[in-house]
Amino acid sequence: MIETTVIKRFSLSERLFHFLLMLSFLIQSATGFGRLFINSKWGEKVCYVFGGYENASLIHHFVGGIMIAGFLLHIIFLLFKINWLDLRQSLFGPDSLIPNFQDIRHLSRQIRWLFGVGDHPRFDRWTYWEKFDYWGVFWGLPLLAITGIMLIYPLWTCRFAPGWILNVAALLHRAEAILAVSYIFIVHFFIGHLRPASFPMNEAMFSGNVVLGQATEEKPAWIERLKMKGAIEKIKAQPPSQWFRVIYYVFGYSSILLGVYLLINGIIYSRYIRLH
Amino acid sequence: MNENYFRWRQRCLIVLFILMLAELIVVTSTVFSQEEVASAIRRYKGYESSTGYYEEFEVKPNRIRPFVGVSEVKKSVFSYSPAASEVRVRTRLSDSHYGIRFYENLSCQYCHPAEAMDIHTTRANLSCRQCHGAEPIASIEHYYSSLNPIRKHAYVCSKCHEGASASFASYIVHEPAPGSPEARKTFSELYYAYWFMMFLLTVTLAFFIPHSFLVGLRELIKQIGKWRNQ
Ligand code: HEC
Ligand code: HEC
Ligand code: HEC
Repeated sequence: MIETTVIKRFSLSERLFHFLLMLSFLIQSATGFGRLFINSKWGEKVCYVFGGYENASLIHHFVGGIMIAGFLLHIIFLLFKINWLDLRQSLFGPDSLIPNFQDIRHLSRQIRWLFGVGDHPRFDRWTYWEKFDYWGVFWGLPLLAITGIMLIYPLWTCRFAPGWILNVAALLHRAEAILAVSYIFIVHFFIGHLRPASFPMNEAMFSGNVVLGQATEEKPAWIERLKMKGAIEKIKAQPPSQWFRVIYYVFGYSSILLGVYLLINGIIYSRYIRLH
Repeated sequence: MNENYFRWRQRCLIVLFILMLAELIVVTSTVFSQEEVASAIRRYKGYESSTGYYEEFEVKPNRIRPFVGVSEVKKSVFSYSPAASEVRVRTRLSDSHYGIRFYENLSCQYCHPAEAMDIHTTRANLSCRQCHGAEPIASIEHYYSSLNPIRKHAYVCSKCHEGASASFASYIVHEPAPGSPEARKTFSELYYAYWFMMFLLTVTLAFFIPHSFLVGLRELIKQIGKWRNQ
């Protein structure tokens, strides 16, 4: 029997934010890798796609600006999402992405489960690694944004700081970029696509829906909570249309291919990486 | 969400907007005509963060040939030539290669491999002479060297970086390898930034890669069990 009841998990604006971040992240990693590996044949090839080294950096700067704007927009979006009348519940309740002690308990339980001891933790709406994915952007993006702006406007930066700050900024920018790229292209892609529970693709972030049966299995506490409140009926959704599924499958898989291509070549050519 | 809440939120937004306007009026920088110019240095410091004092570099070369003989300092065991060996410290010579044999026949990289690794050389494809100039190549801290920190922003960097200031020129062109013990001594900020990032990278990946792999493995086992039951 194939389950067909679907419930809503992500709103349209949340999915748009994810889509925007995804697109800009891919462009940034491709142009950034082209620049990072410019000493190698492969780096030259990647830059060639974007119209050469100079154009690659132009695109990198421009898309970086869009990313920063998106981030600020997201902060404003958050301010609106917060229910200011019930701040406690809104910030520390089970629907919030803010980490709490429950996550630590889940983590220790999950680790025991991974080694075959005890039961699977009963996750609520967000698992701890989903929360990490979310907050990872909050440390990575500002760091990349600030150091990136410093490097785009080095003369302006040096009105406020000595020039050696640029050496440090360049190092931080590259190291953080390598961290972000390896995390997304290894861990995030694996969790989102390849692990058995989500293979061939976790569609929630694109269609906005999850299949009820699957959600009951993975996030039992969430579904139980919804059932207790009688809210399940309210968030029942329509499954996505077939052409929309085709579109996001193609988009998702091209992103993976691009990511894995960059990752593998990055590893092959890693001796060309100059952090200084 | 009730009516009340929306009204309340609207009010909050209006207050926020007024606060932003007030901030714009109060915190905007003073215009130039309002600037109080107590001294030239003060105005200078408005444009960059270095001190503007360069006494530490203002060491005029000796009248006689500049053999700066500090006997304890010896750079390497084997000297390049008998004449060169007399020069222990070459940081203030007008010709930094004074007395070095075979200098004419070798490329810069041959003797200075570490200096050829900076981004200006590897990425922007500059040649050494675009910054260091023609023969004789002066030592960095020779009083009349164009790379002397007194003037390198004006004489060298601004050839390409229009409007380069002295604080911009304090960018370390030939930075040491960031994780090396040498960097710890000469550029500790870079050294600690590097090891901090390496720590972050290792911890994040060392936790999440095995974690995701094990999750995948366990789910596979579960899945296979399900198939068996069917
Ligand atoms: C035969 C080897 C050799 C070659 C070739 C050579 N150098 Fe040097 N250079 C030296 C040595 C030895 C010193 C002194 C090093 C020291 O004091 O640490 C030196 C010193 C210098 C200094 C001064 C360092 C200071 O402390 O101020 C500069 C600048 C410099 N070289 C630039 C160049 C450039 C540019 C080229 C290429 C045109 C070049 N060198 C080619 C051996 C060489
Ligand atoms: C962008 C301009 C620039 C270029 C290109 C450049 N240098 Fe330098 N060089 C400097 C500056 C500025 C210093 C002063 C110290 C510093 O900032 O690292 C310096 C210092 C040096 C020193 C003194 C020792 C040290 O490391 O501080 C040597 C030797 C040297 N350069 C050799 C070279 C050689 C060889 C090349 C070519 C491969 C080269 N430089 C290319 C700007 C440049
Ligand atoms: C002959 C031209 C030229 C000279 C002289 C020159 N630069 Fe540059 N510089 C460049 C180019 C080209 C780039 C761009 C490199 C890139 O982005 O790949 C650059 C990049 C830089 C950057 C940005 C580094 C980064 O990681 O993005 C800094 C900082 C810098 N130069 C400092 C200096 C300083 C300080 C001097 C003077 C000692 C100097 N430059 C002299 C051509 C020059």
